Amino acid sequence: MGSILIVAEIQGGRIREASFELAVYAQKIAAATGREIASLVLGKDVAGLADGFAKKGGGRVFVADHELLANYCVESANAAIRAAIEASGADVILLSNTPSGWDVAPRIAAGLDAGFVSDCSDVAVEGGELVFKRRIFNGRLDAQVRVRSDAVVATMQPGSTEPFSGSSDGSVTKLDVSLSSDTAKFIETKVAESKGVDLSKADVIVSGGRGMGAAEKFAEVLQPLADALGGALGASRPVVDAGWLPHQYQVGSSGQIVAPKLYIAAGISGAIQHLVGMKGSNFIIAINKDPDAPIFEVADLGAVGDLFEIVPALTKAVQQAKG
Amino acid sequence: MKIMVCLKQVPHQDARLDVRPDGSWIEEDNLKFETNSYDTYALEEALQTKDATECEVVAVSIGPSRVTQALRTALGMGADRAIHVQDAEAEGSDALGVAKILAAVARDENPDLIYMGLMADDGNFAAVPPMLAELLGVPHTTAALKVNRENGNLKVDREVEGGAHEVVELKCPCVVAVQTGLNQVRYASLKGIMAAKKKPLDVKTIADLGLSGQVGAASAKITIEKVSVPQKGGSAELVTGSADEIAASLLSKIKELGLL
Repeated sequence: MGSILIVAEIQGGRIREASFELAVYAQKIAAATGREIASLVLGKDVAGLADGFAKKGGGRVFVADHELLANYCVESANAAIRAAIEASGADVILLSNTPSGWDVAPRIAAGLDAGFVSDCSDVAVEGGELVFKRRIFNGRLDAQVRVRSDAVVATMQPGSTEPFSGSSDGSVTKLDVSLSSDTAKFIETKVAESKGVDLSKADVIVSGGRGMGAAEKFAEVLQPLADALGGALGASRPVVDAGWLPHQYQVGSSGQIVAPKLYIAAGISGAIQHLVGMKGSNFIIAINKDPDAPIFEVADLGAVGDLFEIVPALTKAVQQAKG
Repeated sequence: MKIMVCLKQVPHQDARLDVRPDGSWIEEDNLKFETNSYDTYALEEALQTKDATECEVVAVSIGPSRVTQALRTALGMGADRAIHVQDAEAEGSDALGVAKILAAVARDENPDLIYMGLMADDGNFAAVPPMLAELLGVPHTTAALKVNRENGNLKVDREVEGGAHEVVELKCPCVVAVQTGLNQVRYASLKGIMAAKKKPLDVKTIADLGLSGQVGAASAKITIEKVSVPQKGGSAELVTGSADEIAASLLSKIKELGLL
């Protein structure tokens, strides 16, 4: 049996919270299987962060400090992680399901001929086998994935567990890595332009999804409600992909993260990328004709029905109440 | 220039999902299938390259006979050739198994570039593209939102958190996994659909690809089990009644929140 390797991620000069969540999952697996915990902190000028991670669940922390790790690049990240796997003797490798994690993790798995599971919300050990929990069909169904291979690479969903609290014993070891960027190069990061609509300031957001059916329905059906409530219009990703509304209206992990006093979701199924963007809202009302839509799991109040009847009725009721 | 596009057929996005009694997946027998949404953007990107320059687009898909439909549609949209890997032995492959099959096809085809969707709308694993790249020993990127050719290399804007874009440069051949919204997917014209009937659609078996005994359920390293409808973990209060009754309940809550 090998050890567990946590691949930590740096964001804004610090190890991000999702990495401390991996430490919790690693602890859970270690407790049930007797595996040792190791981790990899990779980046540029990150040696100073390793000690903190060693004390917070990182176990035997390997540090790969290199110019080519300053920003994520598949070639250098792949090589550094493979080196850490060899140095630590890991057969369970955990990453966070972030843009870097989802990019490199499957590649690591294929290179090791290992099992692979992604975007998991929990892990359990049953009969010595690792069983991961995740969703399929864009959040509509739960599933468990049992690992049958000797080695496994898994990405865990950020925010799916509390970060490591308390303290632990660990150590720090420098990992010498010889890296290149012959086939892939990081060029730059372009920050999202915030044109116009700043949804983070709105008290009320009335948001529509694929269930709206067409671009015009936003102006026809949702805008009147947003106006009546003095709120802003929002959209889920499929709406923007279809070109019904521009990107600045997108609420979700690749759009805006919002937490208004009231969030009304009309015709939005509730895929995780959208939920991440609005589940912090003070009060959530969901209107959807599918009673099993994942949006109802985060909603405070839900109405299962035809939004094209309910929304206009609500708009009228609000307008009348305002007098 | 040759671009290989990998397509997967998945249950229609609005399909009713009935879990199999053994919880291993959903019942697929009476379902309508469609091309994975992410893959349609991949195909469109290849076709836009073909519009602009001398290029052969080869569409590849793995699955039972219904997959022919997806490939004919791809040909109707403008792909030049299609390859259908149809073999019961491929059934139940995990992502690595699928990647092995696509890698075998790619080694025969030798494309300059492979486009595919970031993930499939059914499994959502997002695993095959990076695995395919590793097996072929080529670079890859994921969540591509813009692709440009520069000095024989590929310059790709990939989507990262908060809507920001990371720009990476890759040597070709490479694998690019595209994000939805990369482009506007075209419809197949009637002329295109008619022409598609004459375009080559080759069927290959697992043995043809030299992969006997290496793919399928028996070789899978993971097993999906206990598929179920999620318990309503949240505490959503559901209001019922006519549209007006529902509106009245919602209004009363909105007033309680002090928003009117």
